[in-house]
Amino acid sequence: MEDASAEEQQRLTYQQKLKAAVHYTVGCLCKEVAADREMQFSKQTVAAISEVTFRQCENFAKDLELFARHAKRSTINTDDVKLLARRSNSLLKYITEKNEEIAQVNLEQKAKKKKKPESGNQEAAESVAEAEAVESVG
Amino acid sequence: MAGSFSPDSDPTTRTLLRRVLDSTDPQRPRSPGPGARSPHSSQSSRTLRSQALRSAQRAGLETLPSRGSHTKASAQRQQRHSHGARAIGRWPHVPASGHLEEQTPRTLLKNILLTAPESSMVMPRPAAGTPVLAPPVVQPSRRESSRGSLDLQLPELEPPTSLAAGVLAPGRRKRLRLSAFQQEVDQGLPLSQESPKNSDPPSLTSSLSLTFGTPLQSQSVKRPGLARRPPARRAIDVAAFLRDLQDSSATSGALALEGDSHRTPGATLPKETMLEDTQFFSPPLVGHSFKAHLSLPAPATAPTTSGAAGAQRPRGRRTWSGRMLQDSPECAGSPKPSQLPTGRLEAASPQAVGFPSLHSGLSGEDDGVEPFGDGADEHAEEGKGDVRGRTTREASAGAQGAAGAEASEQMEASGSPEAVDPGGSSWPADSSVRTGSPQLAPKAPESLQARQLHHCVEPAPPAKLPPRPRAAGPRPRPDPYKAGLSHYGKLFSFFAKMPLEKAALEMVEKCLDKYFQHLYNDLEVFAAHAGRKTVQLEDLELLMRRQGLVTEQVSLHVLVERYLPLEYRQLLIPCASSGNAVFPAQ
Repeated sequence: MEDASAEEQQRLTYQQKLKAAVHYTVGCLCKEVAADREMQFSKQTVAAISEVTFRQCENFAKDLELFARHAKRSTINTDDVKLLARRSNSLLKYITEKNEEIAQVNLEQKAKKKKKPESGNQEAAESVAEAEAVESVG
Repeated sequence: MAGSFSPDSDPTTRTLLRRVLDSTDPQRPRSPGPGARSPHSSQSSRTLRSQALRSAQRAGLETLPSRGSHTKASAQRQQRHSHGARAIGRWPHVPASGHLEEQTPRTLLKNILLTAPESSMVMPRPAAGTPVLAPPVVQPSRRESSRGSLDLQLPELEPPTSLAAGVLAPGRRKRLRLSAFQQEVDQGLPLSQESPKNSDPPSLTSSLSLTFGTPLQSQSVKRPGLARRPPARRAIDVAAFLRDLQDSSATSGALALEGDSHRTPGATLPKETMLEDTQFFSPPLVGHSFKAHLSLPAPATAPTTSGAAGAQRPRGRRTWSGRMLQDSPECAGSPKPSQLPTGRLEAASPQAVGFPSLHSGLSGEDDGVEPFGDGADEHAEEGKGDVRGRTTREASAGAQGAAGAEASEQMEASGSPEAVDPGGSSWPADSSVRTGSPQLAPKAPESLQARQLHHCVEPAPPAKLPPRPRAAGPRPRPDPYKAGLSHYGKLFSFFAKMPLEKAALEMVEKCLDKYFQHLYNDLEVFAAHAGRKTVQLEDLELLMRRQGLVTEQVSLHVLVERYLPLEYRQLLIPCASSGNAVFPAQ
């Protein structure tokens, strides 16, 4: 069907756009690390990291959805994210700390009428994904 | 030619038929009997065989007096069997007795069986038979050339003549033979070897070749693990030990034993294991031996100064009884060197049995020691007994490194004049190790010995051989844990189809351990994630999904249906049963 193929095309382009975005972000991060450690990153390395990050993001998304459904919820929660990150101790600790920070912030914000608890979750998720990707690659 | 016995037919039947055919009339080249053949051609090989046998039988019996009849019978048979059996077809003399056809195949076969051995062999005329046999022998040899029947044929020729003599007294023999044949049919192995001897040489050849070929292979296949183990080892160890033992009864013997035990722990282990496997050993002892083994390594260290002393020490240590000391030297000396495979184990087992009772309680030690001491005395007195004792000792010592440790322990004990002290020290350590096992207490050297025997078996095959003897003995903590892993280890070693190193097996178990821990950790977390305290099917499904076993294409039910036996499937997948009831209830 034309629609199907068109949709497929759209999806692919969308996917490519996302990949490009990830690649760009990974490149920036690698630049920072290179500046810190005074070690250069080859382009292939950056490409590899971004590819791995992208695939891991897919996996994470599926797992998060599974976890949320397992807990009979329809929204992904920080608990799901923590469950996802339990494998790596350091990552788990990091996420837990972040989560507590966010919770505190949320509480404070609640006192001030909840400003953006969701963005905190989003950031946590992104940082988790990046951190995991980097860790897996490293 | 007809001689095509159904390849899948039992060799016994075939051999029987062959025998009959050969015995009756090998000479005759198949004289095709038009009538006889056709009806039989359609018959199964068995039927043909039975008929052939029957006809051969009859031919043999009837034609005893005259060859002509034989020829005729053979010819008839030939016709009959031409279709059924290759071998028969080959043989020129396939007699077919017309009257036999009238009988049912079953009766024919029965008759043949009853009379065949005698009749076939009947080569009532040895003179006639031998020449006759020669050609058939040649033929079957050709046929079985692959099986190397040629060699067998020659010797077989002789037995038939003897059989002829035996044929004369059918009565009981026939019945016996029949039973033997029946057994052979059932087992397909041993009897054929015997019966063929009685039957015609040609049949013998074929049967022998067949029987030899199959049973040997089957045996090896039946027990791959055992077959792999070289029995030569045992002999060497035993001999060496015996020699050592005998050379130095008390002093040097003990030392030598120690060395031997140290040297041959590996050798003894496999032996022991095999022995353990084959022998019916009381489980508790095994468990104890294992435990004792564990405990032994710790204390064992100092080499034994004098065998006698050492023998006493270990015993004294274990049994904590002076009495034992006396016996121990004797027993210790003897047991060490020899690890007779079965004899030892058997000897050890009774001793071991005594031991556990001894060990069970310090208080009971004395009592236990006494019986053991008596036994030990007996052993000591008797060379064999010594050997046995030694084996037990050795077995225990050689069981694993622990065995050596034990030996060293013993030696240590022996080395120091104070048997009790070292024993005491070792003992508490042992007991602490073995807290779980009441029997285990390797306190008494005797028990240790007995255990060592079992040890050797156990430690060696912890993963490789099914730890039957161990199963019964409850072990301290690692027991149920290790037992479960050892089960997987055994499975692994079985499917590996090649011998495994102990270290490799241990590594496999370690990895399995980590894997399962990880797995169950995940399950626990999943259950907690869902706010539950019990792991349920959903958790497992989630786990499998994460593992990639369950996908959008493959659901859990599909996997259940594929891999689980029916009983489990019924429990897992709801199914409607009679009365409109669904089980398991949803």
